[in-house]
Amino acid sequence: MDVTQDLSFVHLISHASVLVQLVMGLLLLVSVLSWWYIFLKMFAIRDEVKLTEEFEEAFWHNQNLNELYKYASGNSTREHGAMERIFAAGFVEFVKLKKQQGVDASAVMEGTRRAMRATYQREMDRLESHLAFLASVGSVSPYVGLFGTVWGIMNAFRGLANVGQATLAHVAPGIAEALVATAMGLFAAIPAVLAYNRYAHDINRLSTRFESFSEEFSNVLQRQP
Amino acid sequence: MSATVYREPHRLPAGILALAVHGVFFALLYLGFSWNKSASLPATMSVELWQSLPEVTVAPPPARIEEVAPQPPQEKLLQEQVVKPDIAIPEKKQVVAKPAVIKPAKMKPAAKPVEVVKPEPVAPPPVEQKIAEPKPDPRIAAQQAAAMAERARQEEQAAAKGKVVDEYMGKIQAKIRRNIVEPPDVVKKDIHAVFRVTLLPGGGVLKAELKKSSGNALYDTAVERAILKSDPLPLPPDAALFNLFRELNLSFKPTE
Repeated sequence: MDVTQDLSFVHLISHASVLVQLVMGLLLLVSVLSWWYIFLKMFAIRDEVKLTEEFEEAFWHNQNLNELYKYASGNSTREHGAMERIFAAGFVEFVKLKKQQGVDASAVMEGTRRAMRATYQREMDRLESHLAFLASVGSVSPYVGLFGTVWGIMNAFRGLANVGQATLAHVAPGIAEALVATAMGLFAAIPAVLAYNRYAHDINRLSTRFESFSEEFSNVLQRQP
Repeated sequence: MSATVYREPHRLPAGILALAVHGVFFALLYLGFSWNKSASLPATMSVELWQSLPEVTVAPPPARIEEVAPQPPQEKLLQEQVVKPDIAIPEKKQVVAKPAVIKPAKMKPAAKPVEVVKPEPVAPPPVEQKIAEPKPDPRIAAQQAAAMAERARQEEQAAAKGKVVDEYMGKIQAKIRRNIVEPPDVVKKDIHAVFRVTLLPGGGVLKAELKKSSGNALYDTAVERAILKSDPLPLPPDAALFNLFRELNLSFKPTE
């Protein structure tokens, strides 16, 4: 390996200025975190979709609400999806209000809807957690990387001012090491943006499904004697 | 509904996958991208430097002759001005005693020009004395050998000096060339503008007169302006070399 022009990757990083190294470290951390969230959300949304489909299937094939409630809230080993929890909350509230004397039908339905809406919002909040992080990584980390690059290039050019005969060989290593910061920023940002868009779309579809389910379930409850 | 903090499932596999992605990324960076480990850059660097030198390389031979013959008085004057004479005289003797050993070893032109040059004007007389004194009977072979050694020594010195001169000639030309703002309508590219530049000891430009016009008045004035603009021209740190830079004939041609 030559002493004069060693542009290996490790060399580039270890010889960058402190600020550029800090920026690179920050970007690496952010990148690892965002990938972690990407995979977390990927698994979570996949599970949620699967559970929702299973429960919809069960709901439309089994008209006995008591059995459904046991299925949806029984402490069996299987996980419960968001839709099951919405169903359980609405059903529990409906049964409680029905048992009370002197509550008219519209008040019962009102209370049931409120219970379902509360659970729906809690579930949406859970599904959307960490998405904001992905969004900010996607929008900010290119700028952070660019900042590191600009700083590194500024240093490279300032060092150049002391050299009488400026050649490309004087600037090239500095610029290369500075550009590593941009590469890392983009590496963190691109998957984060893609994942954010994808997951926002998936969650939006799930939310539509939950809403229409709670409407339909209200109708079913209203028909109950 | 329990109000406990929700924890996402699959935390561990997600973390492992995230780390794996980064491992793959860095492996790709490290292996897939052919980082430039061999030095191909210095070659281009030297090309840049030598581009301006061929016109200058003509200068060293006359410089060598001038120094040996007519300039000793001048240089002695200069040395008396620059160096204190009572220190200089003992130094000279020391340096003369072991000149040939030191010179070839020290090839750094900028760092040690003073030692390299100083013995030059003083050297010829003592050696001639040596030849004259111990061997009054004319042994031609010994004399020739001594003369040969002397010549070799001078050539080495001149080479070292020539290197410094070349380096600074190149620097001067490069600095001026950088400052030239070429007029946009220079059509003919094979024109030359020759300037005689008179320098002050500090590198300041005393005078820049056009010796041979390029035929394009705009280009001539552009070069003149560039010479005046690059006012402190780079000079070697050794004051004794200034005589070579007092009057410069610089030739410029438009870039392709």
